[in-house]
Amino acid sequence: MNILTVAINHHTAPVEIREALHLNEDEVRALTLKAKEKIFKEGFILSTCNRTEIYCIPKNLNTLHKDIQDFLLNEKPGLNVSGEHFQYFSSTDAVKHLFSIITGINSQLIGDNQIFKQVKSSFQIADDLQSSGFLLRHLFASATHAGKRAITETGISEGAVTISFAAVQLIEKIFSSLGKKTALVIGAGETGEIAAKHLRDRGIGKLTITNRTQERADQLAETLMCSTIPFLDFKKQLHQFDIIISATSSNDLILTKDDISTSIKTRKGSTIILMDIAVPRDIDPESKELDHVFYKDIDSLNIIIEHNLKKRHSEIPKVEKIIKEELEEFSSWYSSLDAAPTIRTLREHFENIRAEEVKKNKNKFTESDQDKLEIITKRIINKLLHHPTTELKKAAEQENDSAITKTKVGILKEMFGIDQHHPENNEKEK
Amino acid sequence: MKPFIDTLNVLLPILYIITFIIYSYDFGRGNNKYANSKRLFLFITLLVHLSYLLLRTMKFEHPPITNVFEIFTVIAFAIAFSYFILELLTDIRGTGPFIIIFSVLFQTISSIFITDEFFVKEVLKNNLLGFHVFTALIGYSAITISAVYGFLYLMLYKEIKTNRFGLIYERMPNLEVLEQLSFYSAVIGFAMLTIAIIIGLIWLPQAFPKFSFIDPKIIGTALVWILYGVGILSKVLGKWQGKKLVAILIGGFLIAILSTMVTNFISQSFHSFY
Repeated sequence: MNILTVAINHHTAPVEIREALHLNEDEVRALTLKAKEKIFKEGFILSTCNRTEIYCIPKNLNTLHKDIQDFLLNEKPGLNVSGEHFQYFSSTDAVKHLFSIITGINSQLIGDNQIFKQVKSSFQIADDLQSSGFLLRHLFASATHAGKRAITETGISEGAVTISFAAVQLIEKIFSSLGKKTALVIGAGETGEIAAKHLRDRGIGKLTITNRTQERADQLAETLMCSTIPFLDFKKQLHQFDIIISATSSNDLILTKDDISTSIKTRKGSTIILMDIAVPRDIDPESKELDHVFYKDIDSLNIIIEHNLKKRHSEIPKVEKIIKEELEEFSSWYSSLDAAPTIRTLREHFENIRAEEVKKNKNKFTESDQDKLEIITKRIINKLLHHPTTELKKAAEQENDSAITKTKVGILKEMFGIDQHHPENNEKEK
Repeated sequence: MKPFIDTLNVLLPILYIITFIIYSYDFGRGNNKYANSKRLFLFITLLVHLSYLLLRTMKFEHPPITNVFEIFTVIAFAIAFSYFILELLTDIRGTGPFIIIFSVLFQTISSIFITDEFFVKEVLKNNLLGFHVFTALIGYSAITISAVYGFLYLMLYKEIKTNRFGLIYERMPNLEVLEQLSFYSAVIGFAMLTIAIIIGLIWLPQAFPKFSFIDPKIIGTALVWILYGVGILSKVLGKWQGKKLVAILIGGFLIAILSTMVTNFISQSFHSFY
């Protein structure tokens, strides 16, 4: 299996180098076209904020990892990158590496399922540019299958692992229907914006934003299609909100325990959630002592994240088992592309069809003609298979185990429906 | 028929224990591996239990409501059945072990101490008694379920407040749902107890010459009724909710248990039938 992978990622290189080697979609497209001309027989490029990786079946059997690495570095000249920053994988190891990426166990944030979409779109680009062929398409089908299994059969992607998502998850553990709740986001910076987006995505009933700079609040409110209240007035309206998320850069407390206490009294004890995701904190932590007040700061949310990450880590062996199974499946499919067994299977396939048809129809012939029917149909099958069989034998003798032979065999198997190892076929069988 | 009834009497606690174990296992593992099979097993247990109750009624020629241990088996059934319906309606499956444990307890005690009552006191052969006991049993089952959900609410409340995000946090539905489940069960319990009390007040003075309003069971039931009434009213009026409301509902349940224990096992009450 002549698949080569050259990878630079968070395991091997610091963020400055990863950033410098990052390719946007246009760059990926341009580089893929160039590689198709010079190196790729089939190949695709994966570039995310944490990794840039090239997977290919090279045109030339003598192409080395170093050649692919140099090809990539030529695109970004002047970088202080050495061989140590790269990982090389070949053959089964390359496939295994791709499976570990798409299942999320190779990610910096274990179980991050964004990578699944990123791998898919990278492959889509290769497909658009006709840089993917028979082998890579099958590899991608297997990788997608492995990724989907990891998501559905294990808990590798379960639980919130970012502060704002953990905050929303916690809110949903307190309130049943966010559609009937009101939320106030204090601070329209990046953190506040992410939190507000999460709330909106979860269908919050009413979302309001307040910010020291009203203009910024208005801008965000326009994007999220929600309302704003002036920063100087928001305390007076505090009791109207079931959820308050504070994410300002203020050095002093914005909400005191008394503010919250007054609000709770006006709300007649109705539950209120305070998410203080600012550093330094915006809301008096003493507020958590009040009944019906759920106060959470960054540290509290980090406990949830750590807990979820721990759980995700404990799921890695299950994912590794899936990778092992999918790898065996892929290798088995690849081995099935050898010429000799394919010729045998193809002949068996045709013979089965012939025998079945003869059995069905032989009563329409006289007894003496039935023997002739056997002979004639066998002769037809032999003649039909003569050319493909000799072609395959010739290809196998001349270039055994080459990608060309494998491709020919693979196409033949697909065309006659004798490809037992293709994941899509297996799914249909199930 | 009698040996078959005896076999079912032994089998029932075992079935409830197995159901409880399956529910607990699924709760502990959290993978819902037995999500459907545990429900099926509970259903089979309920069918066996229903057969047992019907067979007992036919054999002894009276419904099993004439002494405390007969009543216990009906309560075990009512609790498990109510939970089963609740699970079907809400698809909330994580709370099963906390409710089924009560069926295990009631059925085990009943199976150990239940006797074959062929003869029923004349006073108990009355249709009003049937309604009284029936509504009271549903009422008590409902307040048991209400208390369990209330207790789970308090546990989850504490876990969230203290940042201890353990099994309860992971497996339970959210606080609002737990509060609603507890509240609606309490409303059903309160309505049923109200009917039971009204029938009791009509029938008991006629049936028992020793009837007294200062009987421990009457006082206990009245206290439970008042507590639930206050709790439900304050929730409806929007005065109390959450932790306060749940604490009242649990308090009502504890008084109900205490009252049953005092009436049936400690004090002399006209309300004891064996």
